[in-house]
Amino acid sequence: MAALLEVRNLSKRFASRAGREPSPWIIRDLSFSVADGEFLTIVGPSGGGKTTLLNMIAQIDTASGGEIVFQSKSAPLGDKTSLKPGLNCQIGYVTQEDNLLPWRTCLENVLFPLMAQGRLNDETRAHAQSLIRAVGLEGWEKHYPHELSGGMRKRTSLIRTLVYDPPVILMDEPFGAVDAQTRVQLQEDLLRLWNLGRKTIVFVTHDITEAIALADRTLVLTRQPSSVAGEHIITIPRPRDIRDILTHPEFVDLYRRIRAQVQ
Amino acid sequence: MTTPTLSGQAAGAAALLRGGPLGLLARKRDQLLVLVVLLAIWQGLSILLGEYWIGTPWGTVRRLVSGIADGELLQHASYTVAEAIIGFLVGGIPAAALPFVLRRLPMVTAIIDPIMVGGYGSPKLALAPLFILWFGIGIESKIALIVFTVFFIVYFSTLAGIRALDPKLVQMAQMSGASESDIARHIIFPGAVPHIFAGLRIAMPYSIGAAVVAELISANRGLGYMIQLRSMNFDTTGIFVALAAVCFIVAVANWIVNIVERHLLLWRPPADVTAQKE
Ligand SMILES: Nc1ncnc2c1ncn2[C@@H]1O[C@H](COP(=O)(O)OP(=O)(O)OP(=O)(O)O)[C@@H](O)[C@H]1O
Ligand SMILES: [Mg+2]
Repeated sequence: MAALLEVRNLSKRFASRAGREPSPWIIRDLSFSVADGEFLTIVGPSGGGKTTLLNMIAQIDTASGGEIVFQSKSAPLGDKTSLKPGLNCQIGYVTQEDNLLPWRTCLENVLFPLMAQGRLNDETRAHAQSLIRAVGLEGWEKHYPHELSGGMRKRTSLIRTLVYDPPVILMDEPFGAVDAQTRVQLQEDLLRLWNLGRKTIVFVTHDITEAIALADRTLVLTRQPSSVAGEHIITIPRPRDIRDILTHPEFVDLYRRIRAQVQ
Repeated sequence: MTTPTLSGQAAGAAALLRGGPLGLLARKRDQLLVLVVLLAIWQGLSILLGEYWIGTPWGTVRRLVSGIADGELLQHASYTVAEAIIGFLVGGIPAAALPFVLRRLPMVTAIIDPIMVGGYGSPKLALAPLFILWFGIGIESKIALIVFTVFFIVYFSTLAGIRALDPKLVQMAQMSGASESDIARHIIFPGAVPHIFAGLRIAMPYSIGAAVVAELISANRGLGYMIQLRSMNFDTTGIFVALAAVCFIVAVANWIVNIVERHLLLWRPPADVTAQKE
């Protein structure tokens, strides 16, 4: 498979603020690539720079060194104003915080990208409605974000990205704020959707089980400054039954190896 | 078995007291109580110091009624209200629009900032004679003073609203394919509306106050003129009548701002129990 996205010797440190030391290196010499249609999961310690990495891939932040190449084009270095957030809707990003618009209802938030892209019609509306049903938000469409629970807001922000069908999706702990039952349900839904469309997904999580269950490949990052600590190809056959995966012999072995690498 | 029912009833009663019709009644009763106490103090003071210095409440009400009946009060009040409305709009609308225009021009914003701060801080009362000199004693000088007062209040609160917006929401919109104008319309503006309203809410009584002050200095109509004239005639009760009219106008204007705001900001969570409107 051809590499769709390549991260080469990426480094990042934040600019200094007046009266402060410049930040230490958050990411140092990080390299990996993502193939077209691949499901990549990334695990790493908290504060390790995973969100920072996704921000740079989505072009809402610049790298301090190295290169990010998407479809053979390098992201601009240094100058924030020349960035193209989302690269013309080719990269969707489910951020760690839900970033819902507080003055729009659940449904209006989900429809926002379609409206912005001028793609709002009966067909896309029906699609949005089916996604709302799939994540169990039916009946809450007219509620404002402050009237939804943390997990419901998270699900709203998830389908706000799915609804416009970007070819690449970055997800930053999208299932962090939901209970175990719903989480498995959402994981299964995500795998089903991915199987249908075979998008490229880069999925950040703290949960090693989730990382293995979903992925074609798992990347383990080190502590700050983060680089690649290990890479694991997951060959557990698909379609997978997430509820039963815990007992799969390959899973047990992978879990042990990844746990040892995550400090 | 009985305990949960009882506590349930108690909770229901408490809820009724807080937010229901009973709560409304309780709050109205307390407001009435405060009013009665204030009236008693007023009456007491007028007895203590003499009617010459402080007109009695009853005398004020009688004059108020007769003032309304012969149309004199309404005529002056409507003049003042007209000034305030025109000044409020002429000052408030550009002040709310300007920060949106300047959003893409940080250089210009920085350059005009000292001027804006100066305008905001300058004593408006001291400017009134200047405006009268420039624009005469007609309606123009009053409107100029109101515009000057309202503009800076609304400008700075709108600016604060734009600056308080979470940049992550803008990034989200950009990633979703929103154009600059989409972002201005669907992200920046709705995000700034609460701040714009906070500015309008503060500016509104100021616009009425500025109208009265300008009339006090020089005019031949309006509530300020009425106060000026009556003070020259040592007519304390008459002054009280004019002041009561000013208070009433401010209360009505505030009520209107409340209603408009409530309709525009339905999406906001209620801040706390006391902020809940009946
Ligand atoms: N804008 C910023 N300015 C300075 N430092 C920052 C900034 N954003 C993040 N950092 C620092 O970068 C480091 C990595 O942050 P990041 O949010 O990428 O971690 P993370 O791996 O996503 O953590 P978590 O799993 O808890 O979400 C942290 O030490 C944080 O303090
Ligand atoms: Mg993070």
